[in-house]
Amino acid sequence: MLSNYLPVLIFLIVGGGIGAVMIIAGFVLAPHKPDSEKTSPYECGFEAFEDSRMKFDVRYYLVAILFILFDLEIAFLFPWAVVLDKIGYFGFWAMVIFLGILVVGFIYEWKKGALEWE
Amino acid sequence: MEFIAAYLPSAMMNDQTISQLPLALPEIVMLCMASIVLIVDLFLNDKTRGGTYILSQFTLLALVVITVMSFTQQKSIAFHGTFVRDGMGDLLKIFVYIVTFTVFLYSKSYLKARDMFKGEYYVLGLFAVLGMMVMISAQSFLTIYLGLELLSLCMYALVALQRDSIIASESAMKYFVLGAIASGMLLYGMSMIYGATGSLELATINAEVMKNTDNIVLIFGLVFVLVGVAFKLGAVPFHMWLPDVYQGSPTAVAIFIGSAPKIAAFAMTMRLLVDGLHGLHVQWQDMLIIMAVASLAIGNIVAIAQTNIKRMLAYSTISHVGFIMLGIMTAEKGGYTASMFYTIVYTLMALGAFGMIMYMSRMGFESDKLDDFRGLNQRSPWFAFIMLIFMFSMAGVPPFVGFWAKLSILKAVVAVDMTWLAVTAVVFSIIGAFYYLRIIKLMYFDTPQETSAIEGASDLRVMLSLNGIAILGLGLYPELIMGLVISVM
Amino acid sequence: MTGVQFLFYAFAAMMVFCALMVITVRNPVRSALFLVLTFVSCSAIWLLMEAEFLAITLVLVYVGAVMVLFLFVVMMLDININRLKEGFVKYLPVGIGVAGLFGGMLTWLLYNVEAADLKTKMRTMYPPSAKPADYSNTEELGEVLYTVYVYPFEIAAVILLVAIVAAIALTFRRRTTTKYQNPDQQVSVKRDDRLRVVKMDSEEKK
Repeated sequence: MLSNYLPVLIFLIVGGGIGAVMIIAGFVLAPHKPDSEKTSPYECGFEAFEDSRMKFDVRYYLVAILFILFDLEIAFLFPWAVVLDKIGYFGFWAMVIFLGILVVGFIYEWKKGALEWE
Repeated sequence: MEFIAAYLPSAMMNDQTISQLPLALPEIVMLCMASIVLIVDLFLNDKTRGGTYILSQFTLLALVVITVMSFTQQKSIAFHGTFVRDGMGDLLKIFVYIVTFTVFLYSKSYLKARDMFKGEYYVLGLFAVLGMMVMISAQSFLTIYLGLELLSLCMYALVALQRDSIIASESAMKYFVLGAIASGMLLYGMSMIYGATGSLELATINAEVMKNTDNIVLIFGLVFVLVGVAFKLGAVPFHMWLPDVYQGSPTAVAIFIGSAPKIAAFAMTMRLLVDGLHGLHVQWQDMLIIMAVASLAIGNIVAIAQTNIKRMLAYSTISHVGFIMLGIMTAEKGGYTASMFYTIVYTLMALGAFGMIMYMSRMGFESDKLDDFRGLNQRSPWFAFIMLIFMFSMAGVPPFVGFWAKLSILKAVVAVDMTWLAVTAVVFSIIGAFYYLRIIKLMYFDTPQETSAIEGASDLRVMLSLNGIAILGLGLYPELIMGLVISVM
Repeated sequence: MTGVQFLFYAFAAMMVFCALMVITVRNPVRSALFLVLTFVSCSAIWLLMEAEFLAITLVLVYVGAVMVLFLFVVMMLDININRLKEGFVKYLPVGIGVAGLFGGMLTWLLYNVEAADLKTKMRTMYPPSAKPADYSNTEELGEVLYTVYVYPFEIAAVILLVAIVAAIALTFRRRTTTKYQNPDQQVSVKRDDRLRVVKMDSEEKK
């Protein structure tokens, strides 16, 4: 079975190799004369005004976390879809219950307004 | 592999799973009701929020009825060896419902006074109970782990529920990070044991372990599993989270963490060590002795130095966990029975002690300092007496039920010829009696710092009184619970 | 050493190296990127063990979603990196001490066993034989996941549900200060909501 993945391995080696060669070649061949003006950060020709990090609204993370949770749910659907004809009605209803439990969560987040941006 | 071939699903096996569904009726009812509470709460506003509370309490009472009605001594394993229904599980579940019911009742006015009377507290509480039920009924590593995670996830969220409190957020963080490490340890140990035995089912594992008890991989796995278990129980040296979490979380959550999950953790320990790894008992006995003695020593001695009563109760928990471990350590039926009795009795006492803190607290006042108990006798003689019962019982003074719990453990330890261990336990208990008696001294012989009357809700007063009388009554008739415990073990 | 073994050791070495880098590099963004590489090498190892579905799920869920969230957090948030690194040197001896003790005990345990004994005492399950080319790991997994392991499967759903509730309960806050328009109300507005026709008798100018 592993032999199926030989092309993937070759791809990884070739892709990684080309990437590495380019970076190394650039590092070795390009002129490399840094001075303080070149290496200092700037915004449109000005000095940086402030730190790029800042307080961030927690709502962004809430949306991201909710996305991950439903992403995981989808991961459970793949094998189910593949074997649906073999596991019969039992497997079908097992997934319906699984989704039903998550729909409860979905109703909760909808009604709570967690999906609204305001 | 032939054992996988034997498991290949067939229509017949699926029918079997469906026919086994009634065994999991309490779990199914719990899941449905928790989901209903979650949805119903969405349509309530702050004025009608009491509906969520009533529905949650109704659920717990209904589950007591369902489990009592279908109570069974017979051990039946279902769902392809992932689920077990037996007398021990049923009895422990009933106590989990009762304890959670009391927790919800005690904490109602506390939550209302702090603007925390939200549906999430009850929903997460009910799902935590579901996690405990899964743990208690687990018969494979998979379900033990999933149940534990379900319980822990709810607990982490409950601790952090008071979002604007820095100390609550801090203790939630500590709890979460340390809990995640412990879960990782547990999983690692389980994977080792799976590697050595080729099964996740406790019964199969036990059969495999018996064949080859000095397999290094097994012992290696056992160590990690035991670390995970010790963390969840709060045994030294894996106890660091307990004092911070108890002190930092709102008392309404601390009472929950300090009571019902201990019953589930006891069940998990029994399932793992006795049902699954009994063949290795020579090895885990030694490890349990070390942890039990360390817990008794650290718990009892450090508790003396505390000024915060929640923190003191955390160290007291650690020392009680030492006793529970001593019972399991005997690897004998008598010891398991004593441990189970001790666990149940301990949760009832912890409920009372935390209940007292919530009874005395009010808006803007936590009442979690030892000094807050000064002169309680002058302010409320009856509740000073109730607190006296809890403290005497925790210290192990006859005739309260805590004494019988300690006695049964000591008897079991002596029965396996470890008299020195019993003597050690007694010595540390006597040291520990000091800080329980100090509270009694504060209540009866000191002058109160404030003289205002205590305003507690009437249902809280009634339940707290009942709780105290139960400790006294069970002390006079310990057979009431002991008989039940013996009958299911 | 077979080719598969060589690959295993190569990926395992990469994984251990990346995991070490995660906890030692100073820049949290790099740390997160090393964690991505750790996951990728882990999924390669799983692939070598013929657990295709899990390997791909690891990349899909952890690398694709969880790590993106992580990167998002460490890139955007104003964490004081210097304060995070404080105490690293202070705790280093303790950490090395504990790790050394642990490693020493393990080595002692293994070396204390007679070499002849080791075979019987380390008796483990042998790996299953290699699968044919048309073998589908996803199918195999699916056949047991929704039937034999249906009970743990449903508990997994409950855990996801609790995660949803917990995430919303802990982070969601309905703002009372922001003013916003509700298009639903705007669209469904009726003439009567906005306009009132007042009927009155005409009045005479006095």
